[in-house]
Amino acid sequence: MTGFHGTREAFAAALTDMSKTDDRLFFISPDSLKAMRATGFADAYPDRYIEVGIAEQASVDVAAGLATCGMIPFVATYAGFLTMRACEQMRTFVAYPNLNVKFIGINAGLIGGEREGVTHQFYEDLAILSAIPNFTIYTPADAAQTYKAVEMAAGVRGPVYIRAASGREEDVYGLDAPFNPEGMTLLRDYGSDTVLFASGFILDRVLACADRLHKKGIQVKVADVNILGIPNPKIVELLGTGSRVYTIEDHNINGGLGSYICHLACENHPVKVERIGLKTFGESGPAKELADHYGFSPEALEKHITQTLK
Amino acid sequence: MNNRELKSCADKLRLEALRMVYEGGDGHPGPAFSIADIISVLYYDEMRLDPTNPDWEDRDRLILSKGHACTIVYAALSTKGYFGEPVKDFHLRELGSRFQGHPVMNKTVGIDITSGSLGNGIAIGAGMALAGKYLGKDYNVIVIAGDGELQEGVAWEGANVATGRKLDNMILFVDKNGWQSGGSVEDTVGANNIAERFTAFGWYTQEIDGHDYTAIKDAIAAAKKQSGKPSAIVCSCVKGKGLPFMENDNSWHKRTPTAEEYAQAKKILGGDSI
Repeated sequence: MTGFHGTREAFAAALTDMSKTDDRLFFISPDSLKAMRATGFADAYPDRYIEVGIAEQASVDVAAGLATCGMIPFVATYAGFLTMRACEQMRTFVAYPNLNVKFIGINAGLIGGEREGVTHQFYEDLAILSAIPNFTIYTPADAAQTYKAVEMAAGVRGPVYIRAASGREEDVYGLDAPFNPEGMTLLRDYGSDTVLFASGFILDRVLACADRLHKKGIQVKVADVNILGIPNPKIVELLGTGSRVYTIEDHNINGGLGSYICHLACENHPVKVERIGLKTFGESGPAKELADHYGFSPEALEKHITQTLK
Repeated sequence: MNNRELKSCADKLRLEALRMVYEGGDGHPGPAFSIADIISVLYYDEMRLDPTNPDWEDRDRLILSKGHACTIVYAALSTKGYFGEPVKDFHLRELGSRFQGHPVMNKTVGIDITSGSLGNGIAIGAGMALAGKYLGKDYNVIVIAGDGELQEGVAWEGANVATGRKLDNMILFVDKNGWQSGGSVEDTVGANNIAERFTAFGWYTQEIDGHDYTAIKDAIAAAKKQSGKPSAIVCSCVKGKGLPFMENDNSWHKRTPTAEEYAQAKKILGGDSI
């Protein structure tokens, strides 16, 4: 396994490692080679590195064309430049014909976007793709999970979107932990006072919050939801264990994890769901300070849950 | 095929396309008639195809970027035997039909890519051409675009990719009929200098009469001789070509013929459809 730090390097490492044995894998770059830390891949497999320039719509179209010929292209760049600027290409020319194209969207969320500001922070990507049939949506929680998610995506037939970040993410999982195909992993099980559903790169913060609550005598479960949009009996089962649950995500509260859990709750176990996430645009700032400022510190989460759970 | 035979095929395709629109009660006959002669040369003379093996990996690819002209391609696929016997009832644009309002690759055998959202065919074609180069295949990728749709930015993103990657296995036909949905191209954006633009983008660019079979064949031959450059064949076409009452009347961009108009078309284009 090629070494890596952060989700971008994890993508490049996984693609490079898989390419040793799979000559169908391509990296399509809308001038994202450096951003994706993929120069090593380009050096090793120059004929499978396709630079299209600063042209996201063309990058998706080119990938669609390659996929019709049996290739497995990975289009990787900033999450919003894919899901917003090239949204129609992802829908009409990849999802509708169900072509085997994979997407990695970086700078997702405040933690992913950090100092660049709103133009380079994206908290709408999951909402956009959730409305498009045939997309499989992975939300890995750290670099190790991103590596595994890229591996899994290559083995799935059809379009897959993987949400990634900037390299500021905290590691939670071990390198050998699989990317759970069930779409949910229970990481804390202190008791049944409530369930905290988390997805993405705030997982370390949610776990810290749960540990703090535990010490205060509030016993919660923490579930990492790593695949969105699928029917998920494990989540439904968890929803049945409490009367109030929380969703916590570095994304707008509409259209991402919160909406997904609300959907499962409404249709299966109607419980009160509180969605914690973004309701406004962000701003520039160091990733961790930003996350704290917008309510994702373990202390702020603990305080909010303590107050609202009563 | 000689030019007389190609003309006969083109007119049969036109009539078949019009029949689909007439029977289905909806469609875009003008844009389809505009490219009928190009389609006739491609399907009957030039493209390497096997209707009994539509997924043949060595086949030439065709991308109808101006997907609203799909009836002429449906007619070609039908007459070439892609659906077995020629299709009697297309049910164009009807619920449950395999002949959608715009081409859909997973519904219609012989369609190489879903299309209809304008401007995307060049970049998609670049992807297919890249795959051909990578796999060491000698197939060609043919893209047919309208002049109006080249107002889309993504078309030029695709043109850049094809230049940069030296995709000499890619041939673009531009149906330069001067019209788009809302009116004339020049009135809409001021200029229709398509050939100059492709030349400036580094493409090998030819300008021909899009209804001259010899010119179409010669242009394809010249394009295939190019090394290191994609080819653009900018075709002067007449929208609605083949029916005097349709030619250059942009109301036929999307319009269903009356029974009288359809009967007249049958007379002009050579009797009953295929």
